[in-house]
Amino acid sequence: MLITAALIRDTFREAMARKIFLALILVETMYVLFFLFILKIDIVEGTVATFTVFGKTSHGMDVNRLVSEALGAVASFLYTFGMALAVFASAGLIPSVLEPGRIELLLSKPVSRHHILLGRYLGNLLVVGLIIAYMIVAVWAILGAKTGIWAASFLTTILTTVSAFGILLAVVVFMGVLWESTAVSTLVAIALMIISVILAQWEWAYRVLSSEWARHLWKGLYYVLPKIFDLGSMTRAIVMHKPIESWMPLWSSGLFAAVVLGASLYMFSKRDF
Amino acid sequence: MPADFAIETAGLTKIFRSRWSRKEFCAVDGVSLQVPRGTTFGLLGPNGAGKTTFVKMLLSVVHPTAGQALIYSRDSSVPESRRPIGYLPENHRFPTYFTGAGMLDFYAALSGVSAGDRARRIPELLELLGLADWGDVRLAKYSKGMLQRIGLAQAIIHQPSILILDEPSDGVDPVGRRHIRDILHGLEEKGTTIFINSHLLVEVELFCRDVAILHRGKVARTGSVKELTMGKGYKVSAPGEMSDNVRSALGAFASGVAARDGVVDFQFGTREEANRAIDLLRAEKCEVESMIPTTSTLEEVFIATVEG
Repeated sequence: MLITAALIRDTFREAMARKIFLALILVETMYVLFFLFILKIDIVEGTVATFTVFGKTSHGMDVNRLVSEALGAVASFLYTFGMALAVFASAGLIPSVLEPGRIELLLSKPVSRHHILLGRYLGNLLVVGLIIAYMIVAVWAILGAKTGIWAASFLTTILTTVSAFGILLAVVVFMGVLWESTAVSTLVAIALMIISVILAQWEWAYRVLSSEWARHLWKGLYYVLPKIFDLGSMTRAIVMHKPIESWMPLWSSGLFAAVVLGASLYMFSKRDF
Repeated sequence: MPADFAIETAGLTKIFRSRWSRKEFCAVDGVSLQVPRGTTFGLLGPNGAGKTTFVKMLLSVVHPTAGQALIYSRDSSVPESRRPIGYLPENHRFPTYFTGAGMLDFYAALSGVSAGDRARRIPELLELLGLADWGDVRLAKYSKGMLQRIGLAQAIIHQPSILILDEPSDGVDPVGRRHIRDILHGLEEKGTTIFINSHLLVEVELFCRDVAILHRGKVARTGSVKELTMGKGYKVSAPGEMSDNVRSALGAFASGVAARDGVVDFQFGTREEANRAIDLLRAEKCEVESMIPTTSTLEEVFIATVEG
């Protein structure tokens, strides 16, 4: 426990020393403030009397519907851009620990290699988790204060966003151990985010693709690779109290992360430094 | 029963293979060494001899291709076996976001030192290493010598019984070097086994009791510094006013001749040769100034080993 805490603290220190994390906090604070100032809601007896965003005013909307839609939109935004920024910010934290002159000292300590890598992974997840939580709670508090509706379901966005980030972080760790390159780690993780949007359209692809093997390849990749896009849709559905059609994207992406993280641990345990 | 040896290797071998061409390079070739408890041991060798790879295998940073490295008879690949070790790597790169005290706190925690002990030991060590005023300063501001000293502090913060130092004096000025040596002597007196990998032969000769010379991945020579440097020969000195005949007769079987301040020194490889020289001098009515056994420096032994 003492060692795990030390490894997590070290990741926090390094994350804070990197200006990119401070920039992430700054960007998110600006977003929260922006949200605070653009949104003007006037509620009379449970109904939105006037709702103003970007200077446009609507009258007589159902407040629950308004809040639900606003939170759904915010959740999607936070999920996509918050995570992309977090990947950019985190990608260097694994290669940095593998630098010559630093890794030798870590490995000489009475700590297993698995413990070192998982400690780093956990530390990274916690740093990003805290930043994401800060932003989501701030938006939730602003909207709650302005509407009087405290939609607890919005807070589940913390969990889903951090989970999806955890899946991408496993990829970042894998690429970090394999190539020791921040750029490659970032590139692959962001590529997976983008590819997940395309692969999620497999039903459409089935209709338009004439080749049987291309259809199978598309669907195969969809099942194997992490479903970041689908997890985003699930997040939005949870926030907007819509039914979840399938939990498959969650467990299959989790399985992908577990396999990738396991491979990273294996490679790290076998490497010479 | 406690193990006799702090460090022991048996047939330790490392073959590196290039990723693509699969070309092989043997960095360490079947090295078997035994470092007794409480000794000061120096590992010497020219660049590329395999010293750093050997040290890394002791710490399980590099996995051996064959053979075994034991710490107090336990395989060093088991993390717990490395608990008694303090290590200062060569070309270390401590994260510069740490302050001196923060860095010591982190590495001490990884070595299992409790928070209370860390709080007590950190100021003590900063004081001992002459860095008391620098504990709260980021490592980015430290000079090379200061980084070396804080590195030594992290190596000893958990009071290890084995200290492995890779080029400990690298970048340290002579005063700092002396300071480090004094600290190491203090640890030696407390029974710490000290294993030094260094290019500085004088430093090793001054500090270490035993040495091994690694050459092309193999142990070329091993023994105590005293054993390795003794028995080079004998020096017979005689006043310079001797005939040319005597001088050339002695020069014929001397391994070296040097003149200084009216005295001529003849170097002989064996005692018999030195006695023969004395007999010859006495027969020619020449005086003998002195006859003393001479020793080699570690540098001479080293060069003879790697070049011979």
